Amino acid sequence: MIHFERTKLANGLTVIVHRDKTTPMVAIDICYNVGSRDEHPDRTGFAHLFEHLMFGGSKHIPSYDEPLQKAGGDNNAFTSNDLTNYYLTLPKNNIETGFWLESDRMLELAFSKSSLDVQRNVVIEEFKQRNLNQPYGDVWALLRQLAYKVHPYQWPTIGREISHIEKATMQQVKDFFYAHYAPDNAVLVVAGDVDFDKVLTLANRWFGHIPNRAVKQRAIPQEPEQTEIREQSVVRDVPNDTIYMAYHMADRLDPMYYATDLISDVLSNGNSSRMYQNLVQKGKLFTELDAYLSGDNDPGLFVVSGKPSNGISLETARKAIERELDRMKQERVTEYELEKVKNKVEANIEYSEMNYLNKAMNLATNEILQDAGLINSQVDFYRSVTTTQIQEVAQHLFRHANCSVLNYIAKKSEHVES
Amino acid sequence: MLNRNTQPPVNPIEHIDMVKAEKRLLSNGIPVYFVNAGSQDVVKIDFIFEAGTWFQEANLIASLCNSMLEEGSVNYSAAGIGEEFDFYGAYIQLTADQNYGYFNIISLGKHLKTILEITENLIKHSVFPQYELEVLIDKNKQKFLLENQKVKTLCQKKFTQVMFGESHPYAITNKLEDFDQINREMLLQFYQSYYHSGNCRIIAAGQIDESVLALLETHFGGNDWQGNTINAPKYEISPDPQKFHHVEKANGIQSAVRMGKFWVPKNHPDYHALSVLITIFGGYFGSRLMTNIREEKGYTYGIGSFVLSLKHVSYLIISTEVGNEYIEPTLKEITIEMKRLQTELVSENELETVKSYLLGEFLRDFDGPFALAGSFKAINDFGLDYSFYDDSLHVLRNITSEELMRLAQQYLNPEDFYTVVAGAFMSSREFT
Repeated sequence: MIHFERTKLANGLTVIVHRDKTTPMVAIDICYNVGSRDEHPDRTGFAHLFEHLMFGGSKHIPSYDEPLQKAGGDNNAFTSNDLTNYYLTLPKNNIETGFWLESDRMLELAFSKSSLDVQRNVVIEEFKQRNLNQPYGDVWALLRQLAYKVHPYQWPTIGREISHIEKATMQQVKDFFYAHYAPDNAVLVVAGDVDFDKVLTLANRWFGHIPNRAVKQRAIPQEPEQTEIREQSVVRDVPNDTIYMAYHMADRLDPMYYATDLISDVLSNGNSSRMYQNLVQKGKLFTELDAYLSGDNDPGLFVVSGKPSNGISLETARKAIERELDRMKQERVTEYELEKVKNKVEANIEYSEMNYLNKAMNLATNEILQDAGLINSQVDFYRSVTTTQIQEVAQHLFRHANCSVLNYIAKKSEHVES
Repeated sequence: MLNRNTQPPVNPIEHIDMVKAEKRLLSNGIPVYFVNAGSQDVVKIDFIFEAGTWFQEANLIASLCNSMLEEGSVNYSAAGIGEEFDFYGAYIQLTADQNYGYFNIISLGKHLKTILEITENLIKHSVFPQYELEVLIDKNKQKFLLENQKVKTLCQKKFTQVMFGESHPYAITNKLEDFDQINREMLLQFYQSYYHSGNCRIIAAGQIDESVLALLETHFGGNDWQGNTINAPKYEISPDPQKFHHVEKANGIQSAVRMGKFWVPKNHPDYHALSVLITIFGGYFGSRLMTNIREEKGYTYGIGSFVLSLKHVSYLIISTEVGNEYIEPTLKEITIEMKRLQTELVSENELETVKSYLLGEFLRDFDGPFALAGSFKAINDFGLDYSFYDDSLHVLRNITSEELMRLAQQYLNPEDFYTVVAGAFMSSREFT
């Protein structure tokens, strides 16, 4: 259970405070309700590029990092399809430096040309390092493109191609800022040994007069129901064939989300899971096999990915996966099996609440989703899932027509074996 | 009127509450170090054995032996072990590094009694089933092939070979064929030699009360799992005389770079001051390397310098991945940054920044049960006590720019560094 207090400033900024008396540090998390799903299809990767520019100086502060380091602070940020999250930690008696820095860059960026020029390049190198120059680095780009034809989840956060990043202009940067970076489109969370009134005073002082920017509700084209199976095969210079099977699933606020998550746990979370026991350990059909959710707010993907063992074809591999998925549809899981995955979820939630920064981030991302209080009802949501629901969700999820298959085939050349 | 142009007053970090690990001996002499902290009902217990690659007679033995500890014991099959840990939401983390083999568990306090009962059987009575071993080897072969496609892996391997010589255990020399040389008996022998009470210490963190200590005594304090003391083998380092090396990886669009040299151990009088120097050089986001090579030139997504302290040797390493077209300018700029530290005094402002940053890091290193246990392990591995951190704080608060420049002149000479680049073919030339 995470206790928190919440209020909204006059300009629309939501402020949440969680008191954790065990730490000498304080975490400040600012989450903006903008992600790669808000991008124009010809300018993908922009939300993430923009995240880099947020560190290139703001209206009154030429350098973001240096003053924070002077206060003993550290920081980072990430961009997802749905949101952009900035977080910092610093000793609690230096909390005001965090408010000063974060409010100034919400107020207005410096919009420096040199920062844009350099960060374009940094992001291109990041693109290469994480995606282009890594074995299997383009899997998500391919899979998203296959599974989504309409929804902007069809491109990855880093962007569809390098040229989109190369072409970003200062005018676009400015437009993006005023369209999305605003108190009425953000959540501020403070976690640490601080009291609510003090945080509220600071929030009003530093953020209170930033104008409400009347951020428009997004109108994101939703993906129509998939009506037939899709399949794509690519050949790449990788050591092993790999199969990816993606199924459209419920959105994050759908009650069925929790049953879907538990299905992935029954199938592949831990050494006792079904797919690991049956297909990796006993069947020796795979050396790696996982089932997981893409974790998006809008309807996301349930993905099964597996590396077949030597001598096992992708076709055999796929049939083996389908057999396990069919079993989920045809038979109910046992009460014991369901109890086991629920226990694990509950333990994991307990582990995640050990850290004040983790708690701040979870409060912020849940508030962006709908309500920070969701984190305290999660255990109950998971606990209330029944074996019947698991079966019903599996029947709806694992339909042939709902599936996109990516065959990632290893180029047959001599492997470097040293 | 709100002044946005000036930073709010910064309060220096005066006090750091170092919750120290306490020590208890089990009846059989195993030391238990524990940190009782945290508000969550969570316990992490590390069983640490002197069973790293240093002790193995052939590649892969230490790590495969370690991995097999959750693949079957006298009372539990591999599937049964998975079943129990999953049911209680507990985790086993098995790792082996150059010096140690770890059997770490994380559990909710309320299930610890059961988890420790199982853990006892796994640690004391592992059976190394042949079938599970074959499955594990197949899995690891595929992982090996995947890792070997990454320029950073190729670079790190070559770097350790160049620094230590291929026959030294700190050099990573694993080959695909090595997997075919491994058999059950080799692992069993390694297990019997190194995973026993005479070769073990325990570090526990979280809600550790007397009942947890009593459980440890019950399950691990007896004389039923003694072994023979084995003299650690001795190895000599034989660095490659050539300082620059290239590893070919066709078709890559980025290359991995490692530059490094041998470094002073943790008990050396210059160690703490050098840590400040290396932080300025490449140890944080505002470092010289990050500022110059990422934030000003945009050659890379990230570059850093770190000191790696192993039990017998320490070394400094600079690591980055850069577009192939930026390799030469990156190497040049790294050298320029070393020379700058040797010839120009670090400004008061920069020194103030890095001191504050490191004090903040210090607070983080002593915040929460797992961080506290990590900070303890970082000294305990080297036979040091908490005065190490007192010294570190003292140096951090008092170090001067003049001292840093002197250290840079002594320790950051570009000609002492080994350089390895892994990536697409480049014309061979001298990098100096």
